[in-house]
Amino acid sequence: MAGKKNNELGVLRPYDFVKPSVKISYALLIAFLVLALLVALMPFVWVMLAGFKDQREFIRGLRHALPEGGVRYIPRLLPEVFLLERYIKTWNDTRFYRYYLNSLIVVAGSVISALVFNGLLAYGLAQLKPKGHKLVLGLIMGSMMLPATTSLAPLFVNINRIGLSGTFWPLWLGVGASAFYVILYKNFFEALPDSVMESARLDGCGNLALFFRIVFPLSMPINMVIIIYAINGTWSDFLLPYLVLNNAKWPGGAPMETVMVRLFSYQSSNQATDIDIIRAIVFSIIPPILLFILFQRRITENIVASGIKG
Amino acid sequence: MNHTGWGARPTRDGSWHRLKKDLGAWLIMLPGLALFTFFVWLPLLSAIRMSFYKTEGMRITEFVGTYNYAFILYKDPDFWRAVQNTFMYTLWSLLIGFVVPMALAVMVHETRRGKSLFRTGLYLPNIMPALATIFLWKFLFRADGSGGVNMLFQQLGFAPTSWLSNASLVIPVIVVIMTWKGAGATMLIYLAGLQSINQEIYEAAIIDGAGVWGRIKHITIPQMYNLGRTLLILQVIAVFQILYEPMVLTGGGPNNASVSLMQLVYRHAFEYGDYSKASSISVLVSLVLIALTLVYNSISRPKEV
Repeated sequence: MAGKKNNELGVLRPYDFVKPSVKISYALLIAFLVLALLVALMPFVWVMLAGFKDQREFIRGLRHALPEGGVRYIPRLLPEVFLLERYIKTWNDTRFYRYYLNSLIVVAGSVISALVFNGLLAYGLAQLKPKGHKLVLGLIMGSMMLPATTSLAPLFVNINRIGLSGTFWPLWLGVGASAFYVILYKNFFEALPDSVMESARLDGCGNLALFFRIVFPLSMPINMVIIIYAINGTWSDFLLPYLVLNNAKWPGGAPMETVMVRLFSYQSSNQATDIDIIRAIVFSIIPPILLFILFQRRITENIVASGIKG
Repeated sequence: MNHTGWGARPTRDGSWHRLKKDLGAWLIMLPGLALFTFFVWLPLLSAIRMSFYKTEGMRITEFVGTYNYAFILYKDPDFWRAVQNTFMYTLWSLLIGFVVPMALAVMVHETRRGKSLFRTGLYLPNIMPALATIFLWKFLFRADGSGGVNMLFQQLGFAPTSWLSNASLVIPVIVVIMTWKGAGATMLIYLAGLQSINQEIYEAAIIDGAGVWGRIKHITIPQMYNLGRTLLILQVIAVFQILYEPMVLTGGGPNNASVSLMQLVYRHAFEYGDYSKASSISVLVSLVLIALTLVYNSISRPKEV
């Protein structure tokens, strides 16, 4: 965009800063923003530091021997010692890697399903436009306004009825019916140049080949956005995975629960100590943090373009 | 032969061609349509149907007309409690959740250095898994000294408080947590709005002698008004769907002081095993949401999504 630099300017102009009142307000503004930044980030710092404590230190605070004898406990942000082994021990004892692996399987299948099913549907709506496609578009847009919880109970009944409960299938395929991704794809496909399509068609490409050989590779920017959203969304998803995978087992007897489902079972079953749950929270937020570090620009820019919160 | 596709004339030959082409297109869309049918449309229709029937476990037994609705509206005290709570959630989220992102956006927009640091940092809570952050906040708001918030309070010389078991504090506390998580994303949308204000308007105002406050009052705020109105409705729609927060933090307590409508749906369906009552509540909520969405659409019409 031309003049982007200029649009970064706010209300204040360099020459406003000659006034002391503006200088002071600006200093206050920065101070306030730094405070807001601390509020936004402190919980993460707190939980990571808390994970280094042991259960007693976490509950009672740091032990202080008093000079006149006896002890006092003082709550403190920093742990007494930084032992990474404590995290590793929880990771191994709770076999957390199992839940990580389950989550990764769910994420991988969901990403493929998100790209293929939503992409093909949007391709039909944006490019092929068969008779009646407007009705489908209306139904898809319409379903966007209703909360997913509305249809959760009947969906769960149907999943059970066709015997897909206790498998990953409902989680994989469910992402293939995302109104949000279809709309994102449709908007992108509509902007693709017709000339490319037409020449590919003249070369004798069928619709399906056209999608996979031309449309899909040309849509890398939006594919990336949907991949990022789908990874983050599936990793964080909880309610349907909980209903479907609760108590489900792999053939060998290992649980099929995802990381989020495990986190929820911890609190309802009292089988983990506070500090184990704290460490599990840290494990569960590491992948989204990595994803954010890798794709920070893309994520923040697209939030604005789509105008819809994740 | 006419095989260029896009603008085929409906000649006798062409209409046959068109039909064949449409069929191919529908085939390509079929897998997606099947998934939408199974995961979205059919469950929605079943929910409406179930709300007029009696269910036993997963079986629909007999048609009961509007009995379920009458029960929910007249005999289920939890429902009106949840409606009342939703009203309180909305009120608090207007007081806290609406103002915070707007103020943050205006302030971040003014920064001359470190803008991307503020943007990124304030947005970070948004991409965290909802469930994990709610657990995190549950620890932070613990009643004893191990909770992070009480730890801070004690350092500052206040007495520790039992945040989540206090009926008059629990909803504001939940709204604070939701704002902490959601404000960054809304802020980015406001920021984009602020960046789209034509700079010449400011220049002209400055030439006319407008001071800093004058510029904010007469240009920035009016320009944000439309966006604010739109985001306000989106926020109310989101508040109607609160589920995880009360479910994990309080279980709806103390004494139903924080129970939400969607949580009632969950309770009826998966704790009491009464799918028909769950469906009738979700149909009622959906009607309100459809009304709100229609208002939203009529307001934000000029801007295509």
